[in-house]
Amino acid sequence: MAEDLVLDTAIRDWVLIPLTVVMILIGILRYFVSKLMQSQQTPDAKVVKEGQVVVRARNLRAGANFIPAKSFRARRAYFSNEENGLLHVPKGQGQNPQAQMFSDPNMAMDMMKKNLSMIIPQTLTFAWVNFFFSGFVAAKIPFPLTQRFRSMLQNGIDLSTVDVSYVSSRSWYFLNLFGLRGLFSLILGEENAMDDTQRMMQMGGFGFDPTKIDTAKVVLTGIDGYCHWGYTAL
Amino acid sequence: MVTKTEETQLNRLESQVDNGGGGAWEYLCLVRKLKVRRSVKVLKHGLWILNDSKKRSSLGPEEWTLYEQVAVAAMDCQSLDVAKDCVNVLQKKFPESKRVGRLEAMLLEAKGSWGEAEKAYSSLLEDNPFDQVVHKRRVALVKAQGNLSGAIDFLNKYLETFMADHDAWRELAEIYISLQMYKQAAFCYEELILSQPTVPLYHLAYADVLYTLGGIENLLTAKKYYSITIDLTGGKNTRALFGNLSVHVSYCTAFKRTKQGRQGQSRLAIFGVSSFGERVQAESF
Repeated sequence: MAEDLVLDTAIRDWVLIPLTVVMILIGILRYFVSKLMQSQQTPDAKVVKEGQVVVRARNLRAGANFIPAKSFRARRAYFSNEENGLLHVPKGQGQNPQAQMFSDPNMAMDMMKKNLSMIIPQTLTFAWVNFFFSGFVAAKIPFPLTQRFRSMLQNGIDLSTVDVSYVSSRSWYFLNLFGLRGLFSLILGEENAMDDTQRMMQMGGFGFDPTKIDTAKVVLTGIDGYCHWGYTAL
Repeated sequence: MVTKTEETQLNRLESQVDNGGGGAWEYLCLVRKLKVRRSVKVLKHGLWILNDSKKRSSLGPEEWTLYEQVAVAAMDCQSLDVAKDCVNVLQKKFPESKRVGRLEAMLLEAKGSWGEAEKAYSSLLEDNPFDQVVHKRRVALVKAQGNLSGAIDFLNKYLETFMADHDAWRELAEIYISLQMYKQAAFCYEELILSQPTVPLYHLAYADVLYTLGGIENLLTAKKYYSITIDLTGGKNTRALFGNLSVHVSYCTAFKRTKQGRQGQSRLAIFGVSSFGERVQAESF
């Protein structure tokens, strides 16, 4: 099992390099398509104001010890007053951000577009790789691996005696998928739509259920419960 | 706020470009990024790049940003023909653009045609009520005409929507001070302190306003804020040291007859005198 397989250099010429080049080109294509498809978002007055109010309230909570107690109390009342406080939301009417997200057609369309633009090229490329480049050893990984990786990295190779370091082109595809991110930020500038991995992590992180979190209410409870000690040391 | 490293970099680039060492484009980009007001230099070096067609074409699409920057700098230096030329070029290239519309309105403002500029800004705001720059230009327009109360109105309306904009709060505070409305100015400074508690400038200004307002409670609070400023600046801020001293003096002269006055914090007073004296001596050499 420790013998060295000699891999044909034609593999390098006709598999590894074309696959990388194709992935780079697809990435650039996606970047330009996403730029073209960006819809102009007109901000809503209420949303803008609420965003700013939340920032100000958060500043109040963070810097509360830097202003005199009377001013803090006045501002707190301004935000959380029962009748007309800015942040005060009467019990039954709390805005549900996620429901709002789905009912707002523009935002829903945007999210769909972003997700699709990520999923479709990935699926297509993966299918293409599997169809054309399976069934042979594509590369050798320079460090030894355990047997557990065999099913993941050697999908087309049906010989169980081949060392796990010899992988198929599927693993080269995944390597490129995650590794080209750095290259894209070099050639496409900082803000590019290629941060798939980031977005995938974001989607995974949605498990915390944004329905239950209402920003204004959180800030409000933070301010209400604040105990102001001010500059007492002087 | 510009950090120390950025400031040194800016000065270095400035001296480099002034002495003919090249790097004009980097200097202009840095000025644009940091939003500092160096209109004379921007005008000189910007025109130097724009008048040379080879350098201009080497900029590519950034050329239009440079035109905009030079136009604003020209308006600041009152070279209105240069500004008009730049705006015309931009208008030919981007005929329906809001950004160019804004520049045209600024040109009207620079020329002094207040009515037309006001009309232009209002129409821009109707199209896009969330354009912060146009809101602020309108306030500047009204202030330039000397109508400070109108400026206050506009600023307050602006701040009702965009209440997290600390530059606007600062401007409002300065207007209030010039109108001697110190209570309102104190409110604005409190907002500034809340949003940026590590900037000693706002603590100092707040202390000044409280000291001006007077009254025993305000004097004590002013003393606290002067002390905070001294703390934040490591004892190097002469104004804060002097303010500290003045508060003690007024406190003692005004309230020495009461028991509270006599118990006054004399240790802090002695420290204030000695440190202020040291500071003045250090600075005068």
